[in-house]
Amino acid sequence: MAAVAEQPRRLRRRGPHARREARIGLLFVLPAFVLFVLFRFGPSIAGVLLGFTDYSLMDSPKFTGLDNFTRLWDDPVFWSSLKVTVLYTVITVPGTIIAALGLALLTRRAFRGSKLFRSIFFLPVVTSLVLASTVFIWIFSTDGPWSTVMSLVGGHTGSWLADDVFVVPALAIVGIWSRFGYGMLILLASLQNVPRELEEAALTDGAGPWQRFRHIIAPSLKPALFFLAVIETTASFQVFDAVYVMTGGGPANASYTLVFQLYDAGFKYFDLGYASAIGLALFVLTLIVAIIQRLVIGKEK
Amino acid sequence: MSLDTHEVTEITPPPIVATEDEPARSRLRLRRDRRRAGREQDTVPYALRGTRRGKVLRGVLLGVVALATIFPFYAMVVLSLKPSGAVEFPGSLLPWNLTTSAYSDVLGSQDVPQWLINTLIYSIVGVLGTLLLSALAGYAFAKKRFPGREAMFWSFLSMVMVPYHVTMIPTFVLIAKMNGVDTYWGLILPSLANAQAVFLMRQFIQGLPDELFEAAKIDGASEFQIFVRIVLPLIKPIMATLGTFVFLWHWNDFLWPLIVGQSTDMRTLTVGIASLQQQNVPLNVVLAGSVVAFVPIFMAYLVGQRYVTEGVAATGIKG
Repeated sequence: MAAVAEQPRRLRRRGPHARREARIGLLFVLPAFVLFVLFRFGPSIAGVLLGFTDYSLMDSPKFTGLDNFTRLWDDPVFWSSLKVTVLYTVITVPGTIIAALGLALLTRRAFRGSKLFRSIFFLPVVTSLVLASTVFIWIFSTDGPWSTVMSLVGGHTGSWLADDVFVVPALAIVGIWSRFGYGMLILLASLQNVPRELEEAALTDGAGPWQRFRHIIAPSLKPALFFLAVIETTASFQVFDAVYVMTGGGPANASYTLVFQLYDAGFKYFDLGYASAIGLALFVLTLIVAIIQRLVIGKEK
Repeated sequence: MSLDTHEVTEITPPPIVATEDEPARSRLRLRRDRRRAGREQDTVPYALRGTRRGKVLRGVLLGVVALATIFPFYAMVVLSLKPSGAVEFPGSLLPWNLTTSAYSDVLGSQDVPQWLINTLIYSIVGVLGTLLLSALAGYAFAKKRFPGREAMFWSFLSMVMVPYHVTMIPTFVLIAKMNGVDTYWGLILPSLANAQAVFLMRQFIQGLPDELFEAAKIDGASEFQIFVRIVLPLIKPIMATLGTFVFLWHWNDFLWPLIVGQSTDMRTLTVGIASLQQQNVPLNVVLAGSVVAFVPIFMAYLVGQRYVTEGVAATGIKG
């Protein structure tokens, strides 16, 4: 039966018409394909291979086995930038998701101005972090708004950006500011899937807001929350722009992140093999965290 | 913001497409139906609408967060309009004693206008190139049968998973070997290989009925004519969404232009403004540069906002 059904399709595929179709299809894909080979497939493989070499653009790469990785393991700067990156992520990701969730729940029902609020919350997402950082430097400066407010409420005085403990939280605040609007939109889209009848029924049965959230809203949001957790973690692991502009990795490496180290290794010292090894470490780290998140948040899709 | 680390999810194809029997009018009707559907969704039963106190609380909360969100933009604009050295808080935030001296510094300098031109070239060529390449490839992947199609498509898509920082170094090496450092083509070309764009195009075009293309073929249209006269007009919605995002990614891109544009003349605005910041240029001048760089983004956001927000909601495309 299946063979019979297969027959005419095969014949057609071999016909002159089908051959022409195939030629045109390939022709249309060709430009994108060439660029992908040059700038995606090639570099992906080369990126992995370079991690096992000593290479500086001048002479050809020398294979050095696991040298780069043992060097990485023994490099205190790597552990420090890993710590900074993880700390930044641990503050930024939950902060972003909680803010996004809260605002999505608040702007969920249309009311006068709800669209305006959503547009405002999304504005930082489309804004370059480099540009935003130029004004955040002032906001966090010694006599700037943040420091003033913090000293009024009895917190840390002086600029957070100059403090080796508070510099990462300061950067995380900027990170949350720039990302929560995206999460809010994702969650708003999936809040539409919450069954209205169920919510009404729960309400008539006297379920409080928390119970309604826990048992009716939260289950529908699970896939979106997982998606956000992965995306935001990946983005946070790659934090660079704001750090480069606001602190330059300082004070004393207190905000020096993995991508910053990769950038310096590659483009300041032209130690391209080592820089590639850092890139691979970042990749593996991202994968591990994504798997853990998958296990924690839920096995179902 | 790196260019090609964007995650993807499914895109919903257009529910209805204008056909020959149902010309432009149906699109209007579609819009009206959508509006109605939207309104119906918003008519929440009284019980779920919340109490008056709850509403006031919600308004206050949202207002505070909105003010905090806007504050950096406000500070950026006001401080850029202040004389040099006016940085004290809260005095300098008041909107008087304004001067445009920082703007004449910025726009009168040699660098910033050049950076603006570089950024425009990078963004516009980037958008046009990405849209064209991904429309061609997306159409072929969606509607043409050719050997290796599935394998090729999935290998394209798998590139979304490889983080940008792994491919960045070899890409730089390649561009450097081809003498592309400090050139426009070296800056732009790698950014055109955009897996997410190809994926979204293919998903969208797959949702279009085959009959549209077959009818044109029977009428004797060439493949080129079909692409220009039928495919391109039909994919306008996804072009608008994708175009807005690709524009934003290019305009805001930092790391790649930082690496490739090594001379002052080849910097983009983000790289240039970061360099101003590091050269201890007065705050009002740096911020004036930021405002100059921000205005086009703000315009693009105002114009393309619908595409941006709907695009995020429908595809999870990264902001």
